[in-house]
Amino acid sequence: MLIKLTGGTLYDPANAIEGKVRDIYIRDGRIVPTPPASDPVHRSYALDGKIVMAGAIDLHTHIGGGKVNIARTMLPEDHRAHVRNRTTLTRSGGGHATPSTLVAGYRYAEMGYTSCFEPAILPVNARQAHMEMADTPMIDTGGYAMLGNDDLLLQLIAEGAEQETINDYVAWTLHATQCIGIKVVNPGGINAFKFNARELDVDDLHPHYRISPREILKTLSLALNNLGVPHPLHVHASNLGVPGNFHSTLTTMDAVEGLPIHLTHVQFHSYGAEGDRKFSSSAAEIAEAVNRHPNISIDVGQIMFGQTITVSGDTMRQYANHGHAHPNKWTCMDIECDAGCGVVPFRYRDKNFVNALQWAIGLELFLMIDDPWRVFLTTDHPNGAPFTSYPHLIRLLMDRSFRNDMLSQINPDAASSSHLGTLDRVYSLYEIAIMTRAAPARILGLTDRGHLAPGAIADIAVYHQNDNPEQMFQQPMLVFKQGEVVVEEGRITRPVNGTTQVVRPDYDTGIETRLGDWFEQYHSIKLQNFKISDDEMAAGIGSPVTIHPCHGRS
Amino acid sequence: MWHNKIGNRTNAVTCPGCGLSCDDLRLEVSDGQLVSLENGCALARSFFDNALTPHDHDPMVNGNLASLNDAVAQSAELLRKAHAPLFAGLVTDVNGMRGALKVANRCGAILDHYNGDGLFRNIRVMQDNGWFATTFTEVRNRADLIIVVGNQCFDRFPRLIERILNPEYSLFSSASERKLILLGPWDSGSLPADTETMACTVIPVAHQQLSDATGLLRALIAGRPVNMQAFGDNTGGQLVELATQLKAAKYSVIAWSATELDFPHAELTIQGLADLIKDLNITTRSAALPLAGTLADVTSNQVCTWQLGYPLRTRLQRSYPEHDPLINRYQTLIEGKETDLLMWISSLSPRVLPPTTDSPTIVLGHPGMTFEHAPDVYIPVGVPGVDHPGHWYRSDAVCPMPLGRLRESGLPAVSQIMMLLNNKLRQTIGK
Repeated sequence: MLIKLTGGTLYDPANAIEGKVRDIYIRDGRIVPTPPASDPVHRSYALDGKIVMAGAIDLHTHIGGGKVNIARTMLPEDHRAHVRNRTTLTRSGGGHATPSTLVAGYRYAEMGYTSCFEPAILPVNARQAHMEMADTPMIDTGGYAMLGNDDLLLQLIAEGAEQETINDYVAWTLHATQCIGIKVVNPGGINAFKFNARELDVDDLHPHYRISPREILKTLSLALNNLGVPHPLHVHASNLGVPGNFHSTLTTMDAVEGLPIHLTHVQFHSYGAEGDRKFSSSAAEIAEAVNRHPNISIDVGQIMFGQTITVSGDTMRQYANHGHAHPNKWTCMDIECDAGCGVVPFRYRDKNFVNALQWAIGLELFLMIDDPWRVFLTTDHPNGAPFTSYPHLIRLLMDRSFRNDMLSQINPDAASSSHLGTLDRVYSLYEIAIMTRAAPARILGLTDRGHLAPGAIADIAVYHQNDNPEQMFQQPMLVFKQGEVVVEEGRITRPVNGTTQVVRPDYDTGIETRLGDWFEQYHSIKLQNFKISDDEMAAGIGSPVTIHPCHGRS
Repeated sequence: MWHNKIGNRTNAVTCPGCGLSCDDLRLEVSDGQLVSLENGCALARSFFDNALTPHDHDPMVNGNLASLNDAVAQSAELLRKAHAPLFAGLVTDVNGMRGALKVANRCGAILDHYNGDGLFRNIRVMQDNGWFATTFTEVRNRADLIIVVGNQCFDRFPRLIERILNPEYSLFSSASERKLILLGPWDSGSLPADTETMACTVIPVAHQQLSDATGLLRALIAGRPVNMQAFGDNTGGQLVELATQLKAAKYSVIAWSATELDFPHAELTIQGLADLIKDLNITTRSAALPLAGTLADVTSNQVCTWQLGYPLRTRLQRSYPEHDPLINRYQTLIEGKETDLLMWISSLSPRVLPPTTDSPTIVLGHPGMTFEHAPDVYIPVGVPGVDHPGHWYRSDAVCPMPLGRLRESGLPAVSQIMMLLNNKLRQTIGK
């Protein structure tokens, strides 16, 4: 079947198309070149005056896995206050901060998102993360496996294992957990907390293994580079949320010695310790460093005011912040010599100095980092705010007077100690398309999406022109998933299910002998039962894999 | 391993006999019969014996043999007529629960697990308080002081000491340094044999006194004045020493089985334990090991939580989920005649039978079930991990274990019955 989208105005940065009127042809779920005039068009959509972009990609959103289910369990009030009725097509559910899986999928699609990535999969919990994402309809999914706090890796590094051995272990983990990338969270810190350490800066030594976070960062970033995994090491840096932590963030950038890394939710890592309240913005220092380091990309982790819940693998920092829990309840967990998690409900208040400044710091980062290809639009859902606030965030970036109106309402001391009011920059539609489509596809190594050229999957979002970008991005006119219309005027019209995006770097399977011994002696699960097969993904878990190429091992 | 292929000899088999989910079992099965079983405990043997005993596989409608088609059609008819259907038992694997939720959404059912009482003693603490928990591999490698609360954990989780509390190898905590404290209604003569492998101290405390003992420990740790009269000099002295040991331990663990703690307001006792652990973490490390998972309570609750946003004891009678941990208790609903249909799902044990009710009853049950009163519909279903592959959660709610397939029985999985029901109901309800 040949489908034609006629007359839409395209924003397709991967192909350097900025606001040009172009037709798009779709066949068998993919975008195809202009066919011969003799080919009959079976269906066509007149999109004159409409904005056409590739389906959006969220590269950092906590939508699946044990910690999300703990958050749901802890906040029945969140679900009571936000219900979604069942319809003839869709299931019921609810929740604002941590929506039920089905509702999360519906809401993402209703905003024009077609691919989402869970950034913190504990290897031992990978099955659950994939099962939850399999039950998140409408979108393709994928995840990053967490390493760098597992006793096995720390032991290998401490024993001076060869980089080749580490590379094999990293590659084995990607295969075993069906993931597309590797994330390190507070390198070594989650593990150190199990030994009762309460902080671990980049050059501190782990109390047991006597290695530093710097070494863990170098080893893992090099492993991914050697393996040719497209997505660079995804780094949640040391000292999240600590005043003055921008030093740790800058040290982290230097620690990898020019190797590519992605620093995530950098807003939470851009704090100074100046001023009467010993809390200040260091967004300028961070932005300047990002501008100077072409090997670094970031996502912001913008906060929005209101009730949410923070879910993180960073047990050390979540425990440290539990005193801020609102409502006053929190859960932490040490998990399987693998990592951990911490779940702390949080309410960001615009009249609170610290919260207001956090809001401003996120926006400062967006506006002071020059290259939109290296900064991504996230709220670290749900940690800064639920993903449903993206349209509002886009308006803050695109509409300066709106931004300044909002700035005038926050805690006045925070407003006056921020540069935000002096920043004139506004994002263009083209730059929004870079940040939410082209750039995430590029940094994840996904050549089949995030753009509108022939060969791409026909994941497409069509928006009405609107002077208010919030309204525009809240309710697309049409969303196509693999060439099928799945959303019309912001409402689901066809429920569909996605696939799991993975990479498969080459490795020496001999590593399993070493891993098998470790599992036999110390683990409570056998190695055979730890690994997830492709059959299991498709027939058991319910989300078949789509394999994306690696660059090849160096 | 998750596998659909059948082999005679199978290693690394996961046992769904209790929430420990030991996955080191070796089984030999020939012609669908169990030939040998290594590494399993008595619960494992009973589970596999029950599952692999030959049974009649025919569904029954009103006590008479029926085809699967007729049984499904009759079930759909009953569901269609029901105004307040109750889906209870829910002893099934992940895909069985996924199917049950789909059908529940369509016909507006209420959901509760066979072991809902035990399950919610823990969940209510999560909802009100949260906790600091740990998992098996952490305990194996880090714990230097372990308190086991109550006196049934070793019967309910038979390989607890061998697999978790005192393993042969440990990364950071040598066997000689580990202390085991049994805090519960123990007679000194009745300790399980394998407690002798560890430095073990018994502190005799009745179930109903556990809350007071926990409060006392919290006060001692906080350095507040305490009154130990209720415990007598001996036990009181032991609790004082335990408080000192807890403060000095590098990684203490407190384990309990909420199902065992079956007395009024036991959730407050659990909350006390959770608070004690939170107190200890101010200066050292400590974590909870809530033992659960048996009969798939954690499994069905996890799936329910991610799909509906709420744990079990949730109803779908209106167009959206509504949760209440007290009102939606299945026994209360049946006693109060607040339901007009019971669908009982129980695929792991022939002994988990439906409760007596005047309402029409549909049973998707273990093929070994026998009934005093025949339900309106009985559909024998496959046992997960024996008749079909699947997933099930062990105690900690973190590790969904893969279940393989051991024989070709022709028994349908719960998930398959739910798909058939959903297709039938789609034609008439909630289109």
